[in-house]
Amino acid sequence: MTELKIIIGNKRYSSWSLRGWLAVEHTGLPYSELLLQLDTPSFYEEIVKYSPAKRVPTLLDGDIAVWDSAAIIDYCARLAPEKYWWPEDKAAYAHAKSIFNEMHSGFTEIRSHMPMNLQDKWQGLSLSDALQKDIDRVETLWTECRERFGAEGNYLFGDFSATDMMFAPVATRLATYGIEVNETAAAYIESILSHPSVSAWYREALEETEVVEIDQLDTNITRLG
Amino acid sequence: MTELQIIVGNKRYSSWSLRGWLAAIHTGLNVDEVNIDLYTATHADEIAQYSPVKLVPILKHGPATIWDSAAIIDYCAHIAPEKYWWPTDIEAYAFARSIFNEMHSGFTEMRTHMPMNVAGKWSDLTLSEALQREITRAETIWTECREQYGQGGEFLFGSFSAADMMYAPLASRMETYGIKLNETATVYVQSIMNYPPIAKWVQAGLQETARISAAEIESEATFLG
Repeated sequence: MTELKIIIGNKRYSSWSLRGWLAVEHTGLPYSELLLQLDTPSFYEEIVKYSPAKRVPTLLDGDIAVWDSAAIIDYCARLAPEKYWWPEDKAAYAHAKSIFNEMHSGFTEIRSHMPMNLQDKWQGLSLSDALQKDIDRVETLWTECRERFGAEGNYLFGDFSATDMMFAPVATRLATYGIEVNETAAAYIESILSHPSVSAWYREALEETEVVEIDQLDTNITRLG
Repeated sequence: MTELQIIVGNKRYSSWSLRGWLAAIHTGLNVDEVNIDLYTATHADEIAQYSPVKLVPILKHGPATIWDSAAIIDYCAHIAPEKYWWPTDIEAYAFARSIFNEMHSGFTEMRTHMPMNVAGKWSDLTLSEALQREITRAETIWTECREQYGQGGEFLFGSFSAADMMYAPLASRMETYGIKLNETATVYVQSIMNYPPIAKWVQAGLQETARISAAEIESEATFLG
């Protein structure tokens, strides 16, 4: 069997990379990683060698390239079907797939105005209505999942699964920007941050020294969105 | 007996609805269809009866509610696994998943500037560079699929599958706006347009009388993008 290789961006900032990387971690298979510094000339020179869509994350399995984090998650689920990716129950599966894809194609306010940044901390920020709406929606989704489907573990559908990979970078953002959420959602964020793979990623992100300007908000801001 | 219920928007314009509807039809189960005219004073309330997200398409199956067309496609594959959704070969599967998700979260220029309109017909339009880049990307994807994985059928991975559901509205747009493509891609567009469920959808779209101005470009337009 060939070894898996995941191409990612800066751990501090690259939220899509985190999703794909969590999927590879979850397979339990051996893998290596290649980190390309986002937003640098060498990024574009390097990424074309690996990714037809020129984006991170890209997963290489021998000659096979998989790009887009949702595709990487599905591909990894196929490589390691013995691991837990999706709930069995039909209604839970339907819900999981729906919110997974809602995240994949939506939450544009959060994605535009709350860039993932695993080193800095803000608090007391005021939020635009549009951003607040996205955040409320996330809070509702998490609370509903934890209450309806999460009883057997600390995550959205019990144990850590594909849907948690998709929402992990949102959980870190809420922590980074000091967003207040209800108790269930706050406990869920803690579960995400203390997941061993997420904490391992976090530790390495803390050691990075490069700053990606477009993802770095000023430390003095008081408002988001 | 009704087994599935699919809630869709105007057939003339709603590209995401087409994707979800194709998946529901592909299961071979009895499908009950609910049509909601979009961009009206009441459409949001009408949709809200079926889904908390207030977006079409929505699939209902017993206790399960699924929103987002990619989720609907995966859910339908889950309940009708005997039908062809994904190629079995792992390399083809990786490619299928990647391009499926690339469409789900990308091609924003085409989605913005080339609204699906199954009744419209333009030709000789000049395209912006950004739009041309996306069209070229779609052309490349289709050509690669047909050449590498398309043996045994007329579609991207042989017989009609999940990836075709995702790209069908793009094929329809190429036809509507008279976009010139290479021969392989042109033939693929024709295969999509001739596929019986799609031909049926287009027929129904042609008979709709409601017009959505946001999705209608000027009949005299000479430029797109």
